[in-house]
Amino acid sequence: MTESDLSRPAPAATAYQDRPQPANLADILERVLDKGIIIAGDIRVNLLDIELLTVKIRLLVVSVDKAEEMGIDWWRHDPMLTVKERGLAEENQELRDRLEELESAQGSGSGKGSRQGTRQGSRGG
Amino acid sequence: MAEQGRYLYAVCRGLTPAAVDGIVGLGGRRLDLVAEDDLVGLVSPVDLDEYGEEGLRRNLERLEWLEEAARGHDAVVQAAAAIAPTAPTRLATIFYDDDAVRQRLREQHDAIVAALDRVEGHEEWSVKVLTRTVDASPEPVAVLASGAEYLRAKRAEQEARLAGDRDAHVVAEQVHEALVAVVAASRRLPPQDPRLAGHEGTMVHNAAYLVHRERSEEFVALVQGQTEAHPDVVVDARGPWPPYSFAMLDDT
Repeated sequence: MTESDLSRPAPAATAYQDRPQPANLADILERVLDKGIIIAGDIRVNLLDIELLTVKIRLLVVSVDKAEEMGIDWWRHDPMLTVKERGLAEENQELRDRLEELESAQGSGSGKGSRQGTRQGSRGG
Repeated sequence: MAEQGRYLYAVCRGLTPAAVDGIVGLGGRRLDLVAEDDLVGLVSPVDLDEYGEEGLRRNLERLEWLEEAARGHDAVVQAAAAIAPTAPTRLATIFYDDDAVRQRLREQHDAIVAALDRVEGHEEWSVKVLTRTVDASPEPVAVLASGAEYLRAKRAEQEARLAGDRDAHVVAEQVHEALVAVVAASRRLPPQDPRLAGHEGTMVHNAAYLVHRERSEEFVALVQGQTEAHPDVVVDARGPWPPYSFAMLDDT
């Protein structure tokens, strides 16, 4: 058996990490779904569907907000992906509660605030 | 019982059956080589129940299925790329039989050869720049007496985060500029969503770099240097990957 030099020496603890096993799912998905050569297979009547699904994933990888705008929210049913979201919602609610508390504490405060004249865009002729 | 299809993982050059012995395809199935001229398609059988039109439509919606398929696909591509010039195909490229694979390789021969020429001898590295999370606030905000103080603290925290992100973008550009000096090509990728990638902080840079094998050490050293030069951010480099982001057909 010849040992090829393909196995690189184990890296010392440096800034980079040798490819972890298993690799980050986001890294893999952005590569296998969005990169690589495209060769039309025989299973292609549903290519449109596959593209659609791919777009969903791509949106997930790119921006959840954007996907939500488009009404794509299938990952919500996936517990794996919704853990952190709950944290955000909680923080949001907490902030709202605090704000309400604050507002009621102030009673009927005067509507001060930095009101700045809004600059109207002047239309050039 | 189920009808079988042929799943194409990658197109390679100079791959021999002996070389792929021991590499296992999706679902633990054996790999086969489909040769056409100087190109070799790396395929394995798949059940069309699972990988046919109906099956895919259903399965691609299931993240666990998708993850397994993606990891299985990647494992084969990775193994092939370690031993031969390899152009990975996109996930779920499926044919009814080997003749169809050969025909497609014949039709796209020149474009595939060009793609292989581009990536031969190279590997891909993923480099991300992330802001460091500043969550270790010295005084716990929660015990502040008034709501006003709480909100003020929250706003200050947010503003600090925004300023940090702006600086991080500048740093990311510097990192990118430094790295492109030793690479054959680079591609910027959209920042990943933390819900999928699981990172903390803001991902201000996500890119793929095509690095010649002989320059890998140099590249890694550069990354190391950048990490030391910019302690305010996290420079996360991973690799080597097969050249997914650089194997594409010119006419697509």
